[in-house]
Amino acid sequence: MPETNMITTIGAEHYLVLSAILFSIGMAGVLLRRNLIVLLMSIELMLNAVNISFVTFSYYSGKVEGQIMVFFVMTIAAAEAAVGLALAVSIFKRFKEVNIRFFEHLKG
Amino acid sequence: MTADVFLFWFLALITVISGLAVVLMANPIYSALCLAMTMISVAAIFVTLQAYFLAGVQIIVYAGAVMVLFVMVLMLFDLKHELQAFTRGRATGALKIASVGILSGLIVGAVTIGLTIAGRSSDEVISAAAAGGVVDTTRGLSEALFLKNIFGFEALGVLLLVIAVGTVALSRSKGGTHARD
Amino acid sequence: MTSMGNTTFEIVINTIKLLAVFLLMVQAVPILVWLERRGSAFIQNRFGPNRVGPLGLVQLLADAVKFLTKEDFAPEKGNRIMFYMAPVFALIPAAVAYAAIPMSVPLKVGDYTFLIQGYEINVGIVFILGISSLAAYTILMAGWGSGSKFSLMGALRASAQIISYELALGLSIVGIILLYGTFNLTEMIHAQQGIYHFSAFGYTVAASWLPNWGIFYQPLGMILFFSATFAESNRLPFDLAEGEAELVAGFHTEYGGFKMLMFFIGEYGHMMIASGLMATFFFGGYSIWNFTPQEVYNWCYGLVGSEQIANVMNVVLHFLSYNIKFAIFLWIFIHVRWTLPRFRYDQLMDLGWKTMLPWALGNTIVTAIVIFVTSYFVIS
Repeated sequence: MPETNMITTIGAEHYLVLSAILFSIGMAGVLLRRNLIVLLMSIELMLNAVNISFVTFSYYSGKVEGQIMVFFVMTIAAAEAAVGLALAVSIFKRFKEVNIRFFEHLKG
Repeated sequence: MTADVFLFWFLALITVISGLAVVLMANPIYSALCLAMTMISVAAIFVTLQAYFLAGVQIIVYAGAVMVLFVMVLMLFDLKHELQAFTRGRATGALKIASVGILSGLIVGAVTIGLTIAGRSSDEVISAAAAGGVVDTTRGLSEALFLKNIFGFEALGVLLLVIAVGTVALSRSKGGTHARD
Repeated sequence: MTSMGNTTFEIVINTIKLLAVFLLMVQAVPILVWLERRGSAFIQNRFGPNRVGPLGLVQLLADAVKFLTKEDFAPEKGNRIMFYMAPVFALIPAAVAYAAIPMSVPLKVGDYTFLIQGYEINVGIVFILGISSLAAYTILMAGWGSGSKFSLMGALRASAQIISYELALGLSIVGIILLYGTFNLTEMIHAQQGIYHFSAFGYTVAASWLPNWGIFYQPLGMILFFSATFAESNRLPFDLAEGEAELVAGFHTEYGGFKMLMFFIGEYGHMMIASGLMATFFFGGYSIWNFTPQEVYNWCYGLVGSEQIANVMNVVLHFLSYNIKFAIFLWIFIHVRWTLPRFRYDQLMDLGWKTMLPWALGNTIVTAIVIFVTSYFVIS
């Protein structure tokens, strides 16, 4: 595959690679950041990356099932964000900080 | 270079840059705003893939509701000093970055090799997509959602109810708005 | 969704059109400000601005000059980037969403067909709702960037209000979406043209003296939608964000000069979107009372006898029709602002969650059942 073709012809692999890059960024965020809310945001980033690949497959295979999955993922993401933020608020009320290291005080 | 190609590269650039900014910004509020930017550009990517309704839903649900919630919570916290934005320890950090790099390399490699081994160049796939034709996606989407996947849809409704009750129970302080603890 | 066009000519025309719609929106703001000040004076038995120029019309220019020459300041404790970004971002959602509203029948010139709207989009309703919900960011950015408690409280209030009323807003138009079976604003307007007629149980009902507008099918949806848009645009009686007695001026307490003016343009932009959507959903959009565009075109053709001129006349007549409806709703916005008192915050939340949301849900369910039953009986 010549170099020019890579750039001027957009195919499924371009979207999939974009999705992979976004997923890796999100994963790096989860591993590297210590703020609970930023962790949640990185998870949202990963879910979005998955959504991109679902929509890509849906488009390139001509079926709508992939888009249905995106709906489900979005709902789960919203639910996860709601619970995560509620947890963050209760952590913040307790310790005035949302750093992940305070979670070890939560046992018992 | 046609408009579609330009659009893809432009959107991909914005998505990756704002996604990186989410992880790299030390201030969580900037991270949240960058994530909102990512959501909007992902919605635009959905438009290039002809998933118009999903793009609208993405903007309403993610950018309009979920991220506003994040930003509101962050602004309520109003963190004056961020202790330890990033993980401790050079060695573990390097290890983590390396593992992320390996993972992304694996995925990208798998995608490209998979496409070459299958021998389907992207042109064929595009023509296949044109033949299959996802025309009038909104109608097709609603039929697939409400006829074929109705159980999943109802299960999601139950899930949302559970989540709503759980969230209220979690965030409720004793005595409502006039808590005394 | 249509692209920007295939030939250079089409692309240029479409770009100019986008600019024109944006300028139309921005230029309507001074006129609205003048109307608001004169109107409020009229309602409160005062004179209002009447010194500069005829009827005080040049007051706007004087105001603009004043705003532009004011000192550009930022609060010291605030976040400068956010503080300067917020007013700029206030313009974007309003401008982008307004461009998606169709304003007249398409203009046919030779082989080309030009839509009298910024761009056509397949899922117009979802798109406009989504884009206008982005306004919450502007408010939060302004409130937090100002670094003042009043601003922050105002911003939190305003964004909580916008999020809550978005639900009622979205649900109130589900009935009309079910009725017309489309997300496309142009198709929705097509369905509302001509005289009042519908078929149920195999019978066709027609009334020659009523237009086929959405309000006659969804009166409750209309009321809910219109009230929710008041809350969305942060206007009285829902302008809790700037309760002067408690919060100074809400999220824009610290803003002055031209930055303040940009928030103003954003607020009026939301008013304009609301009025345009009101006209589109419930009052037939650009269509003229009881007449289809084809009838209007035939009348024009009979009058001038030239296809080109009849086409242009048709477009102009429908554009006027749209703008008359648009202006009436804008006037209602202004009139309500100066006649109704403000809600208390708990009353506002009660109204949104406990009154409007259940009614909107009920409206949706009843509409769905009626549509299902009538079409079912038609089939059998």
